Amino acid sequence: MKKCKCRIAKFFLKFLGIFFLANVALFVVFFFDLDGKLMFNVVEPFLKKHYDNMERKDTLKAPYEMNKFPKYDYET
Amino acid sequence: MAKKFDVSKMKEKLAEKKNGFEKTVTELKANGFKKNAHDFWYGKPHTAEPGGRRLGELYEDKTGLLKHREWRGVKDTLYYMYMIWGYNYVHMITDILKYSNNPIDFIKGTWRYRWMGQTYLPVIHWFERGLQGTRGEAMRASAWHYRAMVSASIQQICNFFNADTRLHNGAENDAYKHSIYANETTCGTLFYPFMDEGYKYIPIEMIPYFVTCHVNSHTVLNYIDAVQSIGLPGDPCPMCQAEAGIFVLDDVPDASPIVITCNEACDASVSTSTLQDWFADKPLFALPIPMQFDDPLVKKYCMKEIEEMWKFIEDQTGAKFSWDSMVKRLERQNKLQRDEWEKWEVASKTNYYPINGVAQALFRIFSTQYGIQGDFWEEASEKVKKIMYKCVEKKINPFPQTRHRVIAWSCAPLYFSNWCTWAYNCWGLNVIINMDSLMFDMEIRTDSYENMLEDVVQYHMWAPMRRMAVGGMHHIFELWDYQKKFNCDMVAMYDQLQCKGMQGVHGLFEDEFRKRNIKAFWLPHALPDSRTVSRAEIRRQINDYMSTVMHEEPLDPSLLDFDDSMTW
Repeated sequence: MKKCKCRIAKFFLKFLGIFFLANVALFVVFFFDLDGKLMFNVVEPFLKKHYDNMERKDTLKAPYEMNKFPKYDYET
Repeated sequence: MAKKFDVSKMKEKLAEKKNGFEKTVTELKANGFKKNAHDFWYGKPHTAEPGGRRLGELYEDKTGLLKHREWRGVKDTLYYMYMIWGYNYVHMITDILKYSNNPIDFIKGTWRYRWMGQTYLPVIHWFERGLQGTRGEAMRASAWHYRAMVSASIQQICNFFNADTRLHNGAENDAYKHSIYANETTCGTLFYPFMDEGYKYIPIEMIPYFVTCHVNSHTVLNYIDAVQSIGLPGDPCPMCQAEAGIFVLDDVPDASPIVITCNEACDASVSTSTLQDWFADKPLFALPIPMQFDDPLVKKYCMKEIEEMWKFIEDQTGAKFSWDSMVKRLERQNKLQRDEWEKWEVASKTNYYPINGVAQALFRIFSTQYGIQGDFWEEASEKVKKIMYKCVEKKINPFPQTRHRVIAWSCAPLYFSNWCTWAYNCWGLNVIINMDSLMFDMEIRTDSYENMLEDVVQYHMWAPMRRMAVGGMHHIFELWDYQKKFNCDMVAMYDQLQCKGMQGVHGLFEDEFRKRNIKAFWLPHALPDSRTVSRAEIRRQINDYMSTVMHEEPLDPSLLDFDDSMTW
């Protein structure tokens, strides 16, 4: 019984320790704006490069067919 | 090519950090235990006196990133960390799971569309800019407005990606067939009759253009340049330019079988509609927003136009106009409006209103324009009311350093909508209310079809940038009534340099300000384009007014001049 209680206590302490450390790590990320710095210095430049090099349809080559669709007039 | 590691720059940075650390240690030693303990528990006071907070020192040069976040005292820092920063990160994910038919589409969309990837990842920094310096109830309440806007944005993004044929190998799925594309100033209210049947109103430009400018002002510049690259001159309104540019760069999801366009507030937007007609290549209905909306004949004409649009939707999609669907949502919208009036009552007559200027303006323009398509607006409104009544009951002034109660008029700079936060922190200018909040100042009757239609048309005609901006002198000058009603002693007058309509009345305002002896400053900007008038220039204009005309000293001198030219 004692052994069991001891194990539960150990598990509980371990859980508390991990919880505490996770919160400290989270606080460091939050307080020093590490998420913002990561987005600004790494993620955004990477994505920008991707979007800049993306192949895009040349929309100007699409014909402007003004009479393709009817004039939508309704009696109300 | 790999970037060369610059040792001297690194050394410089380390020396700067060492200096900063030494400065902090010296300051802590000089303050003594009592002051340090007080600052730790409550945060530094908002004062120009030595020992006051200096928010400008938190910024990294140029990027506007934070060396570290503000220490707001134990309670508020932990609240901000868990209930704003952490809470919103978690809810951004749960919102995607809630609104997306398949979260993989969300990832595919992020990879495909610049406005998505480049903009929405730094959204938490947008909170930071809007909420900086706020404490206690102001911080808590304003953050709820931001939360609702993020939720509404994610819903719209998911609506795009659920239906986009480009993300589904060209397939026109059920979501596609149940989407109605409309210009962002065509209010969501008009589409309520079809929502019970599962139809969704997707404002084409609200997410790719409007919201991006607030969150990351770099993105929109690609679209402005794109439309100018095909020969459009640079002087029309940059909003219209950007909205057309999204199409030029082929960055609009193919998510609806039909398109409804409108002239927004001006002629430049008519050209945008023409380009949209060309590039979208879909059945299109042009729904005008009339300029002379006070004319009863114009109103009658507009009622017919709206009924025609409903017929167009029925004709093209097979949907049926449902009176019940309309009434159900209108009643929720009316309740939201009544809640807003309740809040304005407190804002106008007391110092207990806990929403800051930017959170007030954006929440209101976003919610009135997008309409009832979820419960996020109502949830946020209820939470804010609860905080507001706590302030009233306990006599908590959420903005205790207010020196002037300001009303902001005309259209705001999208890339610096958080100027109000800066202005309060630096000068004690508290923006109580703004034009964007007041445009749709009405309930819509639901007792009969005729009354409903008459009111819906009124609501539609009071579109953003129309009613009190380019809607005629009588409405532009409603400013004086609202200034009195909200008990404001100062006017912040936005000066959109590329809006020909508002440029035309600049002199009239100058005359009226003098005649009425009103304290007012002009705030020049170019709506989404931060290159025309920088944020630093806007701040300089306000600084000049406050020091040379008002002869006041700043509350936080570190915010007077700093370089954030590269910031989001």
